[in-house]
Amino acid sequence: MTLLTGWILDLYETPGQGVSLWLLAEDGRRLCLQQDFPCVFYAWGPPHRLRALWRWLQQQPDPPRLERVQRRDLFQPEPLDVMAIETAEPARLPELFRLAEQNFPDLTWYDADIQLSLRHAARHGTFPLACCRVEVEENRLRRIEVLDSRWDLDTDPPPLRILSLRPDCDPAHQAPSCLLVEVGRCQQELAIQHPLALLNNLRYLLQKHDPDLLLTAWGDTWLLPWLLEQAETWGRSLPFNRDERRGIGWRRERSYFSYGQIVYQGQQVLFYGRWHIDQKNAMLWSDSGLEGTLESARVTGLPVQMTARCSPGTGISAMQMIEALRSGVLVPWHKQQSEAPKNALDLLHADQGGLVYQPKIGLHRLVGAVDFVSMYPSVMVKANISPEVPPPDGLTPASEAPGLVPRTLQPLLAKRVALKQRRAALPAWDPRRRTDQVRSAALKWLLVVCFGYLGYKNARFGRIEAHEAVTSGGREACLRAKEAAEDLGFEVLHIYVDGLWVQQAGFSSPADFQPLLQEIERRTGLPVGLDGVYRWVAFLPSRLDARVPVANRYFGVFQNGEIKVRGIEARRRDTPPWVAGAQMAVLTHLAQAEDARDLPALIPGALELARQALLSLRRGEVPAADLLTTQRLSREVKAYAAPSPAARAALQLLALGRELRPGQRVRFLWMRGWPGVHAWDQPTPPNLAALDLPRYETLLLRAMESVLQPLGVQSEGLRIWLREGQRVSQPALPQLAHLALPEGEKLALTPVCLQRQHA
Amino acid sequence: MGRTLPSITQTFYIEQEAFARFRRALRRGDQLALDDLFNAARQHLAPAAYAANALPMEIFILAMLLEEHKEVLRLRQQLETLRGAKHDPADGLDP
Repeated sequence: MTLLTGWILDLYETPGQGVSLWLLAEDGRRLCLQQDFPCVFYAWGPPHRLRALWRWLQQQPDPPRLERVQRRDLFQPEPLDVMAIETAEPARLPELFRLAEQNFPDLTWYDADIQLSLRHAARHGTFPLACCRVEVEENRLRRIEVLDSRWDLDTDPPPLRILSLRPDCDPAHQAPSCLLVEVGRCQQELAIQHPLALLNNLRYLLQKHDPDLLLTAWGDTWLLPWLLEQAETWGRSLPFNRDERRGIGWRRERSYFSYGQIVYQGQQVLFYGRWHIDQKNAMLWSDSGLEGTLESARVTGLPVQMTARCSPGTGISAMQMIEALRSGVLVPWHKQQSEAPKNALDLLHADQGGLVYQPKIGLHRLVGAVDFVSMYPSVMVKANISPEVPPPDGLTPASEAPGLVPRTLQPLLAKRVALKQRRAALPAWDPRRRTDQVRSAALKWLLVVCFGYLGYKNARFGRIEAHEAVTSGGREACLRAKEAAEDLGFEVLHIYVDGLWVQQAGFSSPADFQPLLQEIERRTGLPVGLDGVYRWVAFLPSRLDARVPVANRYFGVFQNGEIKVRGIEARRRDTPPWVAGAQMAVLTHLAQAEDARDLPALIPGALELARQALLSLRRGEVPAADLLTTQRLSREVKAYAAPSPAARAALQLLALGRELRPGQRVRFLWMRGWPGVHAWDQPTPPNLAALDLPRYETLLLRAMESVLQPLGVQSEGLRIWLREGQRVSQPALPQLAHLALPEGEKLALTPVCLQRQHA
Repeated sequence: MGRTLPSITQTFYIEQEAFARFRRALRRGDQLALDDLFNAARQHLAPAAYAANALPMEIFILAMLLEEHKEVLRLRQQLETLRGAKHDPADGLDP
């Protein structure tokens, strides 16, 4: 018997061997240990049908162990008498369940399709990269003890070996010429034109470094499939898998509908005993990176390769399943629960979202932004909102014993708050500031989608009434906050679901807003924070009607100089980088104003920046890549009745044999004439002389209007002035600098100079 | 996403659309005044949603009245100021 300490790298079922657990031992060895791990699923139905199932199961080869037990289904008032079916081999469970379900489709099934790692997590408290002590006897794991918790803020980082591999350019855009390999600080280039040499070198590198993580770009969609194909052609093998008994795991590409959008996910290439993460096919990679992915894997218990590719929704479901398995609650296979009947009046009251006000349009000075911290998850925990608990009365829970959802969320919420608080207290040079930030961002996504999953009909523990109770609690909290602010003499400029923008004459420092925060916490029982105090913030009107405000279109500058923008062009994914860059340059210029009263003095400079951007476009100095518009395909290319620009670009690619799926993004340039676009990922370079310059000018003008309009610059004047391309004449400049914009006056911009006008 | 009922903004447009024939027959000047009234109601969509009234137009009309009354109050105050200035010329003078 040997005692070992190390970190869990990977865990999966192996036929005939139980569970294979890869351990990164303290001494640096990577060990594959086998563990016995019987798995159970349950059946429920009329007694005679269960008896028939019993007889049928007894006749199966290697019959499972059967038992009659009582378990709780969250959607049933009383515990159920269910049949527990235990297979000694976890690898056998899916097939046995499939056959049983085929023969007995009328029965209700539970715990039938649960990821092995979640079962392991529920039974042994394991999670990816958990530090544990194991007793091993002839490669078989006899006992496992987890030494840390997934809720620990700091854990000893395991000495992971990472090999990164990527082509030198986007393979969808042009054929790569070499692969870039990086291990530690060493970099190497492998030329693609000599596949055999490349294969041999790569094989050598893999064997020499034996990485735990192969980090690629386009590894799922192009690189690994291409390498494996070459390996087959040339009769070489590539040791991607650490576990030699297994082949490569493939998952097919898919398009699905989520939050009102079509989302595309490329095919997946998965390893055993080693991880493969494709940065370009990983959800949220840009937000959270490797640190965030590992943090998600730790708290959700899902394998690292899966966490990198799955949505936060899958993560939060996984956490709920672990909690259910631990507390003896059945996990439904296909949820039977449907929405209870409601009368029209109940529906009218319940079917509402968050509270969204119409902001007061225009420029405001010294505004405090007050945010509820993780509002909806906090409401769920505070008001004890869970499918099995009756809905609360506003924010007052109907029962004291916490339900499954609050039990799952509570530690997650606490960990995120602790990470945020620690980060705020750390000095600027501390490297943990960045890691705490990305880890907290990863947890944020889990918390955010937990609310959505309550209302998702296919979610195992979803229930629409619980979902509605959350938004109702949110509205109640917002209104209490509004009342608190008004009682303390503040003016409420805007309310947006979980945030308030408030203002009071003479209130300018964060300390001035502290009493309000305390009062809101007292009245709601929910944590709130001050996002910051804006030096100035502008709420923008609708494009179609300047009198109509838009809830989430604003920009402003905090007292620390940080710029916050929402809903304007620079935030939109379909905005060409050149336009977004010019808009942000103007905003950065305006952000110099310590006080809104200094803004008019900065307008000439802002206009000059805009004019320079236009000039460089007209002179052809803007790189074509900065002019790319990126749009998402919402359906199959051939299904468009009137093809959108994105669809026309996709058709150009289709003509070259490259088919795009719904949810995939198309990058294109705007061109003159028909079809008006040039798909970027075509091998032929675009004819830059035919670029649709007027369209780009219009896009830039619109972006400029958004930021300059609240300063009183009228769009028509801006248009004429920028198009005519006249400089602000020198004599006019001092005059400009002294414009103080008294109430009711606007700047009117004419080709020659700025004129004051009464609004 | 996932909602059974139209949102308050959709409801607002439906109600406004219901008056399209009325608006069309109005004189141009009256049309613009009517648009102002609807814009006034639009300022209060969040409270209207929160009210969840079965007859949303009642709320919208009340919101129009609310804005009209605010305007009356504002004008009344302005008038008072002007009157005060007239009775006591020293009060209204800028330094």
